[in-house]
Amino acid sequence: MKLPDLISTGWAEIRSHKMRSFLSVFAIAIGIATFFYTLSVLSQRYRDIDRSAQISGKGRVDTFIEKPLSMDQYNMLLRTLPEGSSLSLRTGNYITNAIYKGRVLNDFAIQGVLPSFQDSAFVFDVEGRFFNWKDIENKHRVAVIIVYPRDKEKRDFTRYLFHEPGTEQTPLADLVKRVNLLNQQISINGQSFTVVGILRAPTVEKDFRIARDMEHNQYIFIPYSTWYDIIPSWRDYFETFIRVVTGSESKTGKAVSSLSSFLRSQFGSDFDPIINPFRFQLKFARQQAWINLRSMIFIGLIAMIAGGIGIMNITMAVIFSRTREIGIRRALGASRWDILFQFLVEALLLGLCGAALGMVLGYLAILHMADNADQMTFSWWVVAAAVLLALATSFVFALYPAYQASKLKPVDALKYE
Amino acid sequence: MVIHCEHLVKVYKTAAEFRALDDVSLDIKKGDFISIMGPSGCGKSTLLNILGLLDEPTSGEYLLNGQPTAHMKDGLRSRTRRDHIGFIFQSFNLMPKLSVLQNIALPMRYGDMPRSEILPRARELLKRVGLEDKADNTPQQLSGGQCQRVACARALANRPEIILADEPTGNLDSKSGADILELLQELNRGKMTIIMVTHDEKIAAGAQRIIRMKDGKIV
Repeated sequence: MKLPDLISTGWAEIRSHKMRSFLSVFAIAIGIATFFYTLSVLSQRYRDIDRSAQISGKGRVDTFIEKPLSMDQYNMLLRTLPEGSSLSLRTGNYITNAIYKGRVLNDFAIQGVLPSFQDSAFVFDVEGRFFNWKDIENKHRVAVIIVYPRDKEKRDFTRYLFHEPGTEQTPLADLVKRVNLLNQQISINGQSFTVVGILRAPTVEKDFRIARDMEHNQYIFIPYSTWYDIIPSWRDYFETFIRVVTGSESKTGKAVSSLSSFLRSQFGSDFDPIINPFRFQLKFARQQAWINLRSMIFIGLIAMIAGGIGIMNITMAVIFSRTREIGIRRALGASRWDILFQFLVEALLLGLCGAALGMVLGYLAILHMADNADQMTFSWWVVAAAVLLALATSFVFALYPAYQASKLKPVDALKYE
Repeated sequence: MVIHCEHLVKVYKTAAEFRALDDVSLDIKKGDFISIMGPSGCGKSTLLNILGLLDEPTSGEYLLNGQPTAHMKDGLRSRTRRDHIGFIFQSFNLMPKLSVLQNIALPMRYGDMPRSEILPRARELLKRVGLEDKADNTPQQLSGGQCQRVACARALANRPEIILADEPTGNLDSKSGADILELLQELNRGKMTIIMVTHDEKIAAGAQRIIRMKDGKIV
């Protein structure tokens, strides 16, 4: 029998037993919905991690030391790194003392950064300018402020609950939304700074940085050398984030060893900082995404097996009730293969319907349950995998009953009442 | 010789061994019209099933168109059955969910005929048995005689040389039975070989030759 005839025969059978068919389809659909949901969320997460890797630059290495690094040390370290590397330092400690036009600001942190801060995971639109190396060299009193978009702002009710009259403070996040601080003066630690730039952060949906990069703290940046200069008394417990972007994954190993030996040369041979190539962070992020979702895959697998058993059960029942029909078809010239294919095609059609229904249910689940559902883009491979999985399950579980049907002797099947 | 059987034996192993066919030898030439008669359980249907390749003998030799059938694999057996043999059953064995036209088309769907030729051929056969206005009816909407005519048309679908009819008039009134016999005789005049199992002496008399069976033997 030709495939179109097998399909039309199978479809007619499915339609003539609507409830029975629906139950098989539904069982498969539950499994497919779980898989579709999980794979879609997982692939979206992986895509985000890939985008994060792209904006972070190739061959990135991060470390954190509980020591200060001077600009001389910065220059020495830069010379030991692979050619073309970008080296960025950022203070780990915060200053939280700032005043704008007599208003005490709160809920923010001031950090010292270098112009090379822009070389990795820099997702901001700059209004005004960012720091340049002259600011660093001359220890300019300039500042750059991050402004986050209003859309994802959450109300902090505790602010009103713990409000004490007479101690009015202005959260910086509120101020920057109301007042454009560009070219305005703010006082930090008693010294006057000019705001030369505003960094406008993207909305959460468009921020592709991985979690470690994606801090949503309210920052005021000042030049690293200036920070280092205005708080000399903090040198004993100074913290520094060090970031190297080599531009190539192949240079990562060299960067790690250069960084490690430089830090030992400066702080003693037993100094042993944890140096993280960024690809390990990405790997960790991928593993974390998989760990978060693998239990869903397991549930999906169980549901698929249940669906498969449903198909098997129904195919066996169908064969039992259609034994005489099998005999007639055999008498009219159907071979064992024809009978086998007929039942397999019927099961595959049920599987296909299950895949379609499952994907609709999975899509609805994504809309209502997944984070950032509006950002979800669906991959063709997830759809293909869902369809293949449904077909494979139907095929495997229908094979045994279909084989049993094909083995029936025509004469015995014809006698069956 | 279309059919040549030598020493066919069919044994059913139930509680006790039962010889449904006991050393049956038979030659049937192209264009023969043969009736097989005998009491119930004498082995008529068993013989017909073996001749139709629906069953296999326990021993003995069966040559169809000179070709031994003993060691035929299922594929060849099915193709031979499809292309050379048409069946007519006492209980019609039509597919209840298919239309009359689709029932007639069914054997062709297992063959190599192009899909576009199947329904026109089915219509032609339906016309030949005088039921062209019943094409879209289901078998339940037809009388017994009409159902058997549809079954005759279906048996002719793949242009077989042999028609095997197992009590084709058994479920019909005498008028419808006579119509079916007439149809079979007409086919036989077109050089088709017909082997018919029947209880009815009057129907059997319509054949050229009557074979009588008793206790699994030809008598």
